[in-house]
Amino acid sequence: MMARPEPKSITFTIDGLEVEAPENAMLVDAAKLGDIEIPVFCYEPKLGNPVGACRMCLVEIEGIPKLQTGCSTPVKDGMVVHTQSERVRTAQQAVVEFLLINHPLDCPVCDKGGECPLQDITFGWGAGSSRFIEPKRHFVKPLELSPLIAIDRERCILCYRCVRFSQEIAEDYQLVLLERGAHSYVSTFDAHPYVAPFSGNIIELCPVGALTSRPYRFRARPWDIEGAGSVCTFCPSQCNVTLTVRDERVLRVLARDHAEVDDGWLCDKGRFAYQSIHVDERITEPLVRDGGELRAVPWERALQEAASALARARGKVAALAGGQSTNEEAFLLARLMREGLGSERIDTLAGVAPAKQHQLARPDLQAKVSDLEFADTVLVLGSEPVDDMPIVDLRIRKGVRRRRVKLALATSRPSSLDRNARLALRYSPGCEGAFLRALALALAGEDCQTPAQAAGAEGEQVRQLAELLRSGGSDVVILYGERMLAQGSAVEGLLRLASMLELSGRDGAGMLAVPAAGANGRGLLEAGFAPGYGPGLQPRPTASDQIDLTAAQLGAHAMAGGLSSGELSAVYLLHADPLESALPRAQWSHALAQASTVIAHASFLTEGVRDHATVVFPAQSYAEKEGTLVHPDGRLQRLRPAIGKQGQTRAEWSVICELAKRCGLDLGVLTGPMASKQLFEAVPFYAALTLEEIGGRGVRWQERDAAAGFPEPPPLEAEEPPAALPSPNGALRLGSFRSIWAATEVRVSPALQFLHPTQRVEMAPADAERLGLAHGETVRVSANDSSVTATVTLRDSTPAGSVFLEEGLGAHSANALAGAMVEVRKA
Amino acid sequence: MSTTLLLTNIDEPGLCTLPVYQRRGGYDSLRRALAMTPEEVLHELEASGLRGRGGAGFQMGKKVSFLPKGSMDKYLVCNADESEPGTFKDRELMQKTPHTLIEGIIIASYAAGANRSFIYIRGEYQLQADILDAALREAYDAGFVGENILGSGHSLSLVVHRGAGAYICGEETGLLDSLEGKRGNPRLKPPFPANQGLYQGPTLINNVETLSTVPTIIRMGGEGYAKLGVQTSTGTKLVSVSGHVQRPGNYEIELGIPAREIIYGLAGGPTPGRQIKCWFPGGSSSPVLTAADLDVPYDFDSLAKAGTMLGSGAIIVVDDSTPIINVALKVARFYRHESCGKCTPCREGTNWTVKMLERIDSGEATPMDIEIMASVQEHIIGNCLCVLGDAMAMPIGSMIAKFREEFEAHIAAARARRGLGADDAQAYSSALAAQGAAAVGAGPYPGGS
Repeated sequence: MMARPEPKSITFTIDGLEVEAPENAMLVDAAKLGDIEIPVFCYEPKLGNPVGACRMCLVEIEGIPKLQTGCSTPVKDGMVVHTQSERVRTAQQAVVEFLLINHPLDCPVCDKGGECPLQDITFGWGAGSSRFIEPKRHFVKPLELSPLIAIDRERCILCYRCVRFSQEIAEDYQLVLLERGAHSYVSTFDAHPYVAPFSGNIIELCPVGALTSRPYRFRARPWDIEGAGSVCTFCPSQCNVTLTVRDERVLRVLARDHAEVDDGWLCDKGRFAYQSIHVDERITEPLVRDGGELRAVPWERALQEAASALARARGKVAALAGGQSTNEEAFLLARLMREGLGSERIDTLAGVAPAKQHQLARPDLQAKVSDLEFADTVLVLGSEPVDDMPIVDLRIRKGVRRRRVKLALATSRPSSLDRNARLALRYSPGCEGAFLRALALALAGEDCQTPAQAAGAEGEQVRQLAELLRSGGSDVVILYGERMLAQGSAVEGLLRLASMLELSGRDGAGMLAVPAAGANGRGLLEAGFAPGYGPGLQPRPTASDQIDLTAAQLGAHAMAGGLSSGELSAVYLLHADPLESALPRAQWSHALAQASTVIAHASFLTEGVRDHATVVFPAQSYAEKEGTLVHPDGRLQRLRPAIGKQGQTRAEWSVICELAKRCGLDLGVLTGPMASKQLFEAVPFYAALTLEEIGGRGVRWQERDAAAGFPEPPPLEAEEPPAALPSPNGALRLGSFRSIWAATEVRVSPALQFLHPTQRVEMAPADAERLGLAHGETVRVSANDSSVTATVTLRDSTPAGSVFLEEGLGAHSANALAGAMVEVRKA
Repeated sequence: MSTTLLLTNIDEPGLCTLPVYQRRGGYDSLRRALAMTPEEVLHELEASGLRGRGGAGFQMGKKVSFLPKGSMDKYLVCNADESEPGTFKDRELMQKTPHTLIEGIIIASYAAGANRSFIYIRGEYQLQADILDAALREAYDAGFVGENILGSGHSLSLVVHRGAGAYICGEETGLLDSLEGKRGNPRLKPPFPANQGLYQGPTLINNVETLSTVPTIIRMGGEGYAKLGVQTSTGTKLVSVSGHVQRPGNYEIELGIPAREIIYGLAGGPTPGRQIKCWFPGGSSSPVLTAADLDVPYDFDSLAKAGTMLGSGAIIVVDDSTPIINVALKVARFYRHESCGKCTPCREGTNWTVKMLERIDSGEATPMDIEIMASVQEHIIGNCLCVLGDAMAMPIGSMIAKFREEFEAHIAAARARRGLGADDAQAYSSALAAQGAAAVGAGPYPGGS
């Protein structure tokens, strides 16, 4: 295992105080260990190596004639440092005076006022007055740096943080410093808007009020607000956040640094989609379909309608849960279905059999998020991190940039990480199983040419990948898109890969899934919301009257069939709309139309809810909820309510309990924590866990003693063979992806709306040329009498013969097409 | 008095071409060096005591020895971004005898174990860059540069890279960033270029004159070269003399001769009837000296002892026809214009200084502004990321120290022209402040007491 830095401890003297610190820690950090603060502006360890630009941290070190920057001086044993000497004080006051020369001092009307490092440092280390009487520098202000960020260049102290973030963290290379000297200013080339998935982080990085959030501008002052820690549930990254709350409204989302989860960054969806909590579109009262229309009704009526419909549908009811459901909600709904309504038909939107997930969820194979940074080699398999689990994208970039992690990509769709990778390999969409077979052969040193071709990949590249994985060092982390498990032979392939690379039990290596079921995909499985699996991945006892049904017959696909055929009459949707998911659209559209009862917990009237729900319960947003989630690496994290309930919303757990009671089942849950307690007791590998133990930083169950309670997966059942590559016949093979912006929360948030995508078909330039299509042209993509309209987007490294369409866009989504082979024609 | 090594034959027609250069013994030193081991060449460089001719005056042999040993890619970069006001010695060397520089680079790269080298030449030197390009082609064709030079096993690539007109790119780390295709901003040191320079590899950076001296050192032997000059400043130095002298130009002198011999003896002194008011001994960034300092020996340590520096060896003479404020403004404006803006004291300090000088010149200042200006210079010196800020603050500071009375007289005269009396000057720090105070109906400006 590549050793993570474990510095030895040294002793140095600062302001006459002997302080112990890790060797080579920067002085500004080491000083904190002695409770001494050295002021900084440009220094931010998250941004990488110090640049020493602002000169605020000058200190005196005995034996060195010039003052030194504390941000860039590693502390050594026996070093004697002064931060309060006359020389240092003069220099500090001088730098503050210099910085304020061109600063407008408009603190009373500045968003940053009250939480501004420049204010604090001026008070703490400045001289108190300025001798500068000349006119200050002026800029037009504020300007839109982007629709999300306003820039006030007069306030800027040119610390370079935002530029460094853009250049070295997000690597979008958009922000630059233009002009020179006192005329320098931050901008993008040609003043294009700075639009990027992680742009909002620069607002938080800015040590003055130069970069402010446009949605937050003038909404509150720091003394009006409170911070509430929670976890973002918009994607599986589950970033730790602090919600800024004023008068029961969430006004802002800030990062709550957690090195094992988010590394202190947020994506713009996580940062700005809080707006969806307070928009008018949000459902805040119970609705019941009456005369074909959804109408607002009192809770009693909605509960009564739902309970009696469920009771009528006993044994003929199914449930689907979305990724934003908490463990407790899923756990209680599973109990209601199984114990109260006699139905085993529960599933997520993942489209993956839980038995397959079970094989790969083993603790000995589990990698942590931080392993991505410290591994020898990282293989990204069948996932585009920036879309699927955005914050991991930054973590991978960090590993490659700072620790020279060898990155390999094996995906069908071109990736934004391509240029960071040692090797970027493409196979045809849906050919993961075949590709993994070829890779296994290559790893065994055998010829892989023909199997590689069967996956639409190049044999030589597969061989190179095998070489990289074998010789690149023993710590290999595989980040894989869980959706691929639906492909034949994929599980077998991944397990074989893990065993050939000896990943089992190796600290710092292993596998990390990007859950197919959404943010809390792993939690849903572990809470027992899976066909054929109870809490803790325990197979369901055979006493149930539906036991002769296999997991596949209980799962989502069979559910759609059952609803269509009348075998099932009711479906319960917990934060789930099948029409917004990747499940086959036509099939589910029909199924929902046929169902006599559709009960939904929803925040917005998405298509499936709007057109088909018979009872709608207003759902809580993550800012109102309590409960737990499970991060893809097994970390249990806790949601804490930041604001009171909005409108007439009620906690999902209490609604489920109420329905259960009316159906004759007492779930025994009176509070949120009681639900958590039941869950922890039901899952063997959560044994003795408490909410207190999870706390604010979460806890990985794999690291607790109870992990031994993880049930060993049964021997892998024979999987279906890998899909064969159909002969092209001029048709193109369809792959799909879901953009980071294709989410309801993005669509309804005013600030983010402009990012909500329209359908585009990504294709290789060669295919476009053959079909006579140009970039930007509108086309119809069709398969078996179904078609969608899209705009042609040419991407260089798209594998020839394949096209990619987006999901999550309603009628024009990839899943509206009935078939894997498509034709593309001019519209 | 004038000992020539570099400027021998300098005006010979065609010296910039390979045949003439070789006829004058060119590339003989290279052959001799390649017959030695790199360690032996390094030893000669160290024995010569040659100090860098670009400004900092660091021992060249020592700098070479700092490069780590090993088989990694190492780089040699010649700093030909000669932008210091008053300095024009490298231009003459590159224009008239480019092969001397190329030969010096090859020998130095051999000693340092570098296989890739660059000449970063300032963008305005178009003629010199064209001449270097032509000479480099000749050198490649003759096998002096390229793979396996003269069968020695040493290989070297050499590229002439033209800058785009920024003074800061003459600062070695700014130069490296610019060469890498980035904005030319200085880097934090450490790491020093010898460890992590160009493309993060070990890099040796030397000035044109320094590298051009290398063939001579190999010819004379390090110890032979060290006999010239004085103890800690060995050899000869090109001095660019400009300003109020009768015969401005480049002169090669043996280090340690009195400055008077250069200014009066070689350059002819100021026009008759004029007196020297002050002179910059080493480019516009060196603290000024006065006529009283003319007998200071012109070498690194004597000048340092006199409170200034030899710098790039550019002597700028200012006679009594020029007000000191004009000199100060010229210098301060140059450095404000060239400050990269990365670090605070330089970015804001140069700007502030210019604004204060402009007020002094326009009669909007009081004597107290001189104090503020002097204190601003002190706050810049030693507190910046690179030496550009010091390059303004040191000469301005020296001018204030040595010509305070003239500044004060200038302020009084300028104020009188505007009709502002001495009483106002006591109550208010400046006319601007007075206006401001009047506008808000306030009493005396708090900073003005």
